[in-house]
Formats: sequence, C-alpha cells, structure tokens
Amino acid sequence: MLSGALQQLGLHVPAPEVPPDDSNPKGFAESQWVVDFHDELLRRTAVHVSDARPQAWFETAKISLKERPRIRLHSWLERQFGEADELLIKDPRLAWFMSMWRAAAIQSAAEPAFVTMLRPPAEVVRSKERHYAGRLGNAGRATAWLNMMLHTERATRGSERVFLRYHDLLDDWTSAIYQLGDAFGLQGVLNADIPDISRVHDFIDPSLHRSGGSWDDLDVPTGVRELAEETWQQLNKLVDDRGGATDATDALDELRTAYITLYADAEAIARSSIMAERLNQTLRADRAIATAAPDAPVQALVPTAAEAVTAQPPAARTQAHRRRPAASPADRLAGLIPHGLRAAVPSGIRRRLRALLDRRPRKR
Amino acid sequence: MTPTSDGSPDLTNLEGLGDFDIRWGWNTGRLDPGTTTVLRVKNEARSMPWVLPPMLAATQQVVLVDNASTDATADAAREVAARHGAQDRLTIVGYPFQVSRCGPEHLATPERSVHSLAYYYNWAFSQVRTAYSLKWDGDMVLTAEGVAVLDSLGWQVQSTEAIIAIPRHPLFVADDRVAYLDLGWRNMEFYGYPMNAAHTFVKAFEWEMRVMRDDDRIIRAPEGLAVELKYLDADEISHWTSPDAFATSPRTGRKRREWEVFSALKEGRENELERVVRIESPDGMHVIDHVTRRWLPGADRPLVKADIPRGRRPLGAAQHVLGPNS
Repeated sequence: MLSGALQQLGLHVPAPEVPPDDSNPKGFAESQWVVDFHDELLRRTAVHVSDARPQAWFETAKISLKERPRIRLHSWLERQFGEADELLIKDPRLAWFMSMWRAAAIQSAAEPAFVTMLRPPAEVVRSKERHYAGRLGNAGRATAWLNMMLHTERATRGSERVFLRYHDLLDDWTSAIYQLGDAFGLQGVLNADIPDISRVHDFIDPSLHRSGGSWDDLDVPTGVRELAEETWQQLNKLVDDRGGATDATDALDELRTAYITLYADAEAIARSSIMAERLNQTLRADRAIATAAPDAPVQALVPTAAEAVTAQPPAARTQAHRRRPAASPADRLAGLIPHGLRAAVPSGIRRRLRALLDRRPRKR
Repeated sequence: MTPTSDGSPDLTNLEGLGDFDIRWGWNTGRLDPGTTTVLRVKNEARSMPWVLPPMLAATQQVVLVDNASTDATADAAREVAARHGAQDRLTIVGYPFQVSRCGPEHLATPERSVHSLAYYYNWAFSQVRTAYSLKWDGDMVLTAEGVAVLDSLGWQVQSTEAIIAIPRHPLFVADDRVAYLDLGWRNMEFYGYPMNAAHTFVKAFEWEMRVMRDDDRIIRAPEGLAVELKYLDADEISHWTSPDAFATSPRTGRKRREWEVFSALKEGRENELERVVRIESPDGMHVIDHVTRRWLPGADRPLVKADIPRGRRPLGAAQHVLGPNS
C-alpha cells in the first residue's frame, strides 16, 4: 500500500511491474525483474521468503557476495537510473539481499534509503493464516516475523531509514507519508499537488486490512509470543526517533541474540523429529519407486528398509538385505538430501548429476 | 585449550613475562555479539586516517596493538577516532617486544616466545571480547563498498561459525595524487574468524597462521573491497628477513609479485607492468580517498581478469592465493 501511494506521488517503479491480480487489483508496485531475481536467488540458496532460521541469513549472504549476481544487479540498477533519479524498489523478498542492494547503490553512486512497515506480530500471523495455506503453522509464522524484523532492523542500520506503523498509514496517510518524504527528501512527496494527493486518497482504503493484534486463540508458544511482543515494543520506539533510538537498537541486539539462541535450542530439541522426517521421506520415495515400477525384477523382491525391520524374521531380514542391490552413489547422496530440496533441482540437471555420480571408474 | 576457572592463564610465554600471559575472552566471560577489528601496527601513523575510519564504521570495536612504534601511531589513531566520535570503541594496547620478521627469522623463533609472530597474534586477539574478530593490517583500507559488506557480515554470520575471506589489491602510492593499483594478482585471504579455542594462531613456515577445521564454513567476499597501501617512498619489505626469503615457495608468490611491481615502479619501469592501473585523483582529493570511495566502487567487474599465458609470468600473471597472511 505504501509503495502504491508513493508511486501515485510520482516515484518511479521500474517497469515492467508485477501484474495486478484478484488479491490486489490495484497492483503491487513491484518490479517483475526484482521479484524474479530474488526468487531465483532464494531458490538457489534453499531459503524461502518466510524462513524462520537465523542461519538463512548466512545462506543468502553467501550468494549475495558472488560476483555474477552482484554484476547483474548493478547493471540493472544502472539502466534504471537512466530512467529516473529516484527509484522505488519494493519486494517482500528484498530484505534477504539488503547487503547486495547497499553495495549496488554504492557502485552506482546512489544513496539507499529504507522504509520498514511495522504491523503488530499477532496481526501478521492472523493475516498470513487467513491468506496463505501452508505447513508453517502459527508458531512458524510468528518466528518468521521475528527472524525477518530483527534482522531487517539490523541490516538497515547505518543507512537512511524510516519505520512506519501500518496503522498510522491507515489512520492518516498524509502525516505518515509526509514524514517519510521529509526524511528522505523525496521531491514527489514534498512537491505533491492537488491531483497527486487526490489520487492517493482514492488509492488508500482505511477500512481494509485490520486483523486484530491479540494473541488469543493463536497457537504460538509463550516464549515466542514474549519475544515477539518485546520486539514489537522496541521497534515502535524507532518509529518516533527515525530509526536512531540507541536504547532500542541495543535492546534489539539482545532480542536478536535471544531469538538465535531460542531457535538453536528448538533445533537441538527437535533433532529426533527431523531425523524421523528424513527417514519418512526416504520411505515415501522408496514406495513411490516401487509403485511406479511394479515389474522391476530386483526392486520388487526387496522390502524397504522399514518393512524389513518390522515385518521379517531375523533370518529373512538378513536375506532381504543381501538380495537388495547396493545403492548407487547417486542414490546414497539423494537419500541425504530432503525431498523438497531435491524437487527444487530441475529434472534435467538431476539426471546429469546422477549420471556423473554413477559413472564407474574406467579399468586401466 | 580448556577453559580455566581459577584465573590461571591459557598460554604462558617462554620468557616468563606474566604481564603478557594470554587469557582468552571465551574463558573469562560471555563474548558480546559483533565483531572486533584487531589492528597490529608498527609505524603506521601516516595510514591511520585511511585505515581506521572504515573499520570503526564496519565493526563494533577496534583493538589497536602498537608494536613499539616510533612515529606516534597510537596518538594518530586516537586523534582519528576522536574526529569520528568513536573514542569509546577504540582500545589501544602496547606490545613492546621485537617480533621476528617473516621468513627464516620467524622459523628460528620458538612459538611460545614473546618474539614469535604466533604468540604476538594470540596475545593481540586475546584482547577481543566479541564473538567474531577481524584480523586487519595497519596498511589496509576498506572501500566504501567494503564497509557495507563487512557491516552486513557482522550480523549475517552471527548464527553460524564461518570464516570470512576477503580479496585485497595492492595500491602503490606515488604521491598525494597518483597511485598504481595492481589488478594482476588474485589474492584472497582469511580475515574474519569466530572467537573460540578452535581458531587460535600457530606457527607456520614463513609466518603465523590461524587454525582452521575441516568442517569450517567459508564465506568469500567479492573483489574490490580492500586495498593494501604500499608507499613508493618507504621500505615496504622491512618485515621480511630479506627479499631472498620470499623467493622460495609457492606460498610466497604474492610477496614476489609485490616486490617485482614495487621495484619496477621505483625504477620507472611502469610500462613493463601488465594489469597495473595508474590512477590520478581529481584536484583537492587524496588518491587513496579517490580509489577507495569512487574509483574501485565504480570500476567494471570482475576486476582481476583471467590468467595471462604461463610463459609471460610472473610480472603480469593473475594468480589465486588463498592462505595465511604475512
């Protein structure tokens, strides 16, 4: 909504834009190239946009430091500055690659300025629960919010930045956007005339998008709620102090460390569940192969590992394992990689990798 | 190394100098999040105005270890930090011992002597109280882009234990307006490390090295983020026993390249050098500022192009060196 309003006031969103759809008929004010670029990098790093893992920031940092994507981003940005002096770049995925954008701006002798929209965490969780299906669950949605907000706040330090409350924008967009334009010296805002302002009034519908900020009935662990609430309180201090409140940033450093510790503890506790899920994935994959090729002469005779353990007497189990063909190097490697990750690799590349891995050494 | 609870040192020296025993930060209390730059300096006063400000901008703390400078390096550093309002983030400590020079002199010095490079580095890094440390030289200048990258890495690596490799490019400074940037040698070294017992310094053949584990994750920064100042009016190999000392092994190829470029520039043979770029700053701007704030951030990438055919090495050759610093 904010970027749409700024676009109405004349800020340039590089074309082509992501086309409007039923969920947002007024448009997203997002550049298609930017969305595609970020999507590609997220896929290559196996990070998803709502990733709650603190370590996901390391994965996106690694790819952000590679020369090729940096050159691509800088080249694109240079072309856009040929169109306009002030650009508006919006994409929910952008936070994952903030350091690359900062570097690209420096290379283009441009000054990056960041706007972060703040919305109560419980409201974000409810909104995502309503609009997006998925396996993340509300605890996952809440931790994704924490991971994103704590690290985005850290990533934007040292740059021009403004934190805006979503509700302030709905209550009185003129005040919120004027402050933003004043802070960044945005000519489109500062020099807006009557038609410009009228267009924004038409664009913003203050009756929309209020989901309620209560945690009641949300299945989120107490520790996560408390961290999220404390983070929300501290972020709010940055709204009133244009992002410079030192006591708030110190507190957010502590909260970020607490979140990283909490997540590491949760991962350590859940290790058995993770191992069980991996085994289940292997089991499902084995069954899928057996179902897809029921006449396969050897596979059909061989029970899966789990079946062998549960259904066969010890002697038969040994026999079954003897009769099972040795797994190829590609199979062994594939068993170590989660199915979701394997599926993200295009089938052509998977085939070539299998062929490479299974290539037998030549006899000398 | 095991934690000590009775306050006894983690590492003592052969000379029995208790004031210079080593007590690691991770054994004496919780390490704060963030990164500390450790600058070991000897007579680097002239470089402080360029070296120090970017490190104060990119990391949370700077520890400057002054190894018996005679040019008031520490005072220069204090003055620069004050100018940037960062006095409270600069710690200056003195290490008064003669440290062995790289090469044969280093090889002949026991690791646990206060004169050893390994002991010196361990003592310097024992001053760190943050979770990450960045080894930095008193003649290395981070570019504007480098500040953004290192500042970001400071939090991006917080949830993992990673080693940060950064390429650097020698910048041979002729005077206030003219310098020569060597883009003919790819030189990537490890600078950032988590502070823990698995990553301390040990003695290697020509110099010290910081220990790595096989399962360490490495994150590599792109080119163009840092330059290493070489003043053409100074003796830039004084920390080596002799030039012959680095003419011996593949590990010292970078030093040979530096020596060759340095000698060629000193003798006016710059036209013999390939991929060494002459840069002149605009009026009123020092060439080091120009290179690090404008020229390098705006330069076409990749900076260091493909190798020159083998027969034409070593003067123009692009080599990849990833190893311990000198």
